[in-house]
Amino acid sequence: MPNFQLMRRKFQTAGMTHAIFLSLPITLFAVFYVYPIVSTFNLSLHSWDGFSPTPKYVGLRNYVVLLNQSRFYHAVLNNISWLVFLLLGPTSLGLLLAALLDRGMKGESVFRVVFFLPFTIPAVAVAAIWRWMYEPTSGLLTTILQSVGLGGLAQNWLGDPSIVNFALMGSMLWWTTGFAFLVFFAGLRNIPVEYIEAARIEGATPWQVFWKVSFPLLWPSTIVVLGMAAVDAMRLFDIVWAMTNGGPAYASEVLATQMYDTAFGRFEMGRASAISVYLLVIAGLIIMPYIHQLAKRVQDAEAE
Amino acid sequence: MNTAVARRTALPFSILVVAAVIFAAPLVVAFLTSLKSPSEITRVIALPNELYFQNYAIAYDRMGRSFLNSIAITVPSVIFSLLVGAISGYPLAYMRGAGGRVVYFFLLTGMLVPFQIVQIPLFFLIRSLGLYDSIPGMWLVHTAYSVPFCTFFMRNFFASVPRSMYEAALIDGCTPAGYFWRLLLPASGSGLAALAIIQSRAIWNDLLFAITLTTSDKATPVTATIAGFASSLQVEYGPLMAATLISLLPVMVTYLLFQKAFVRGLLGGAGK
Amino acid sequence: MRNLKWFGVALGVLAGASAARADGPKELWHYYAAGSEKAGIEALIAFANKQNPDNQIVGKVIPGNAVEMRRQLQTAFMGNTPPAAYQSSMAFELKTFVDSGKLHDLSETWAKIKGDEIFPEGVQRVVKVDGKPYGIPYDLSLINNIFYSKAIFEKAGLQPPKDYEGLVAVCDKLRAAGVEPLGNAGGPFWSLYNFYAPLVSTVGTEGYYKIASGELGFDSPEFRKGLELYRDTMVKCYAKNWSGKTWTQTADDVVNGNTGMFMMGAWAAAYFKQAGFAPVEKFDVFPAPGTEGKAIFQMDAFAVPEGPADTLETAEKFVISAASAEGQATFAVPKGSLAPNVTVDPSIYDAVGAKFARQLADASKANAVLPNLFFLLPTKVGTELGVQLEKFAIDPSDANENELISTLESLRQEAQAEGAYLKW
Repeated sequence: MPNFQLMRRKFQTAGMTHAIFLSLPITLFAVFYVYPIVSTFNLSLHSWDGFSPTPKYVGLRNYVVLLNQSRFYHAVLNNISWLVFLLLGPTSLGLLLAALLDRGMKGESVFRVVFFLPFTIPAVAVAAIWRWMYEPTSGLLTTILQSVGLGGLAQNWLGDPSIVNFALMGSMLWWTTGFAFLVFFAGLRNIPVEYIEAARIEGATPWQVFWKVSFPLLWPSTIVVLGMAAVDAMRLFDIVWAMTNGGPAYASEVLATQMYDTAFGRFEMGRASAISVYLLVIAGLIIMPYIHQLAKRVQDAEAE
Repeated sequence: MNTAVARRTALPFSILVVAAVIFAAPLVVAFLTSLKSPSEITRVIALPNELYFQNYAIAYDRMGRSFLNSIAITVPSVIFSLLVGAISGYPLAYMRGAGGRVVYFFLLTGMLVPFQIVQIPLFFLIRSLGLYDSIPGMWLVHTAYSVPFCTFFMRNFFASVPRSMYEAALIDGCTPAGYFWRLLLPASGSGLAALAIIQSRAIWNDLLFAITLTTSDKATPVTATIAGFASSLQVEYGPLMAATLISLLPVMVTYLLFQKAFVRGLLGGAGK
Repeated sequence: MRNLKWFGVALGVLAGASAARADGPKELWHYYAAGSEKAGIEALIAFANKQNPDNQIVGKVIPGNAVEMRRQLQTAFMGNTPPAAYQSSMAFELKTFVDSGKLHDLSETWAKIKGDEIFPEGVQRVVKVDGKPYGIPYDLSLINNIFYSKAIFEKAGLQPPKDYEGLVAVCDKLRAAGVEPLGNAGGPFWSLYNFYAPLVSTVGTEGYYKIASGELGFDSPEFRKGLELYRDTMVKCYAKNWSGKTWTQTADDVVNGNTGMFMMGAWAAAYFKQAGFAPVEKFDVFPAPGTEGKAIFQMDAFAVPEGPADTLETAEKFVISAASAEGQATFAVPKGSLAPNVTVDPSIYDAVGAKFARQLADASKANAVLPNLFFLLPTKVGTELGVQLEKFAIDPSDANENELISTLESLRQEAQAEGAYLKW
């Protein structure tokens, strides 16, 4: 059986090939992720204005100071509400739109482009457009509400500390639903038609078909969308910074914008680095289980 | 029968139309604004009295070089990041045992690093490599920071390719590397296309790396120009909107070109 | 396999590109990215380059504001690639960089341009650190004036008010006429700028400088009185939903006849003009109550980082051109700001600009030129003051008032213990 020997040799060289293949990504990762993080951690133990030649070592003081600031907790809470929103909002809207479109609808390609279009716009431009949408007295949103007789619902969208986060989430919904929509749309297309036909023949309503047949098979797409949403919620920066700078009066601040303001608005680089480290830890606690789950799927794939 | 179908699709169709109108409305406002003269811009939702194309001329004039820079940065960065994602996803999809899992886990943790954290060390790194304010520097940075996501994406895609194909190829005398380059990669067009769309959008729209690592006209991409229109004390909304609309064209074209493959490739045959 | 080759080529390019970068052009960094500001800086650069044919300088826009500028400068200083010169705010903005030894002492240049003669005293003191000049003033805007729509005032039969009672009366009448009385906009600056007038009215010029130097506490009765005057006058007059608008959106409200008055920096005049809202004919200004004869200003200066001799030479030649009467006019006219150089012929300004120039000259004579408090305070105190004041203006409750006072007072004490305060 010469083939077996050949195969064994192949599998031995496979280990070598794998190592060679992996060396480039691992190098990039070590240089561009590990090194900056270590250096950020080091900086977080210092007090430094960003310009003077010598940072002063202060130990864990930056970490302790932050734990005594209500401003810090407020940003953490905002990150958590963003997490909840991004897991639910764009995901369910995207799923709804994809599910509605998944039946040879007229003008399907037009819908597909329209829903995806906002996702392609840079954050600064999204912010500029939505600063108008949200102009509280003559902006598009207020005008439309007034013209349909719901003027009472119009708000001081970006200027009211208790409203501003919801307003930002609204623009985020517009901006990012396209991605969730497309992933789900692709996922639905991947479901073999026979499955759905079979369920229909058995007399299931479209509603039942969706929840009993399609939705469970969409699980891989759902994992992708939810995972990206969680990552985005922790990294969130652009849209908040460009639209409100975290204001009014810190109301819409998240950790990344607070870090930016602390570093460059107040010249406290060490404290800003400590915020980064906290952010990393919190993100880790929340997202790590997800990543762990993903890594475990390697095992499952092998078991097949 | 026909009326039954019509009845069944009428409601979803009208919901979709409403959604489409809502999604399009901000862009319509942006488009109208891009055609208004400065004196008309104070009335945001009114139609322009006359079409003022000069905003496009201003936008084009000021974006000129940066638009080309963006293309020169994005196209190679997307190709490199896809390649690195593929060569890193391949072993991770086929390796057995704990080693592969640990490496995979390790690389994925990169997905949770906010990029604001890395910018100062990154600046030093790029400068010491002599790549500050250069387009190749941007290729390197975008490729490096794409590693976690592209690895994740390509590994999942490869994992969905039946393993029997791999074993058969080895029996036929193919080396593991040969299998990757000659069989697996050419067969992964749809997955690569899907990733290409996501990556083009992410890299084209990057602002943070752009303003940290480029400084002159020869490397600054279009997002930095748009940020210039948007963030100064006086915002010039006409040219800003014109610039935005021009700048989203390339990503849009990429999307339209690859969308068929996108639908097929996004989940790597997850429905198997 | 083709792909592999591509990659090899790319790595080759990377290696090739890593040769050290040759000396680039001498750069002037600024954040005038659009509109009349951009026109102003471009005209100035062209003017200076014509005067100094052998020392050309190239303008570069840093998109954003002072915060983004600091970030960009930080990386540039660390990487030892600072620009030849850059747009800097005054006072503490300069001091931070001076303390870390990054800025070039401009004493020689200052002597050449006769800085002590051509700039008003209040202007001089905010570009000098320990008696040495580190910035060349070029872009000055008064921030203690209230713009008003002439049509709206005429229709309601109103005259510009002279005192706070008058202001509140005007507001009431405007509201009765269905017009929002006083515009303001969201963000940490605009409410703060509005607050200076009631503050100066209560604590006086001297008290203003005492707050700046940390001698007068935020928990003092005087400061609280100023805060309450602000609450009972301006905050009461603010237009509905002001905090959700940008300053240009509020300016649009004035243009469109929805808002009667707007207290904003002089740059609003340039915006009005651009929107076809002509000075004197459509709008005019009056000094905020209690600031008549005074000039509170916001100003930018050019700072010059330490660098190689030829870069310094280019930077110095540039700032000398920029300080000259002709250079200052070249910038001020398109930008719509005032030239800090008093030898500039006032006839270059439009009617409203001329009013500002007269106001500055009179205040200068009376020694009542006050710099923006934000930049006189240590950076973290000034920034927090802006944030807290916006919060108070949105909701002027007793709770917010007390929180403002206690937060800032503890920051003041902390900064004083660190020796961060300075007497400007």
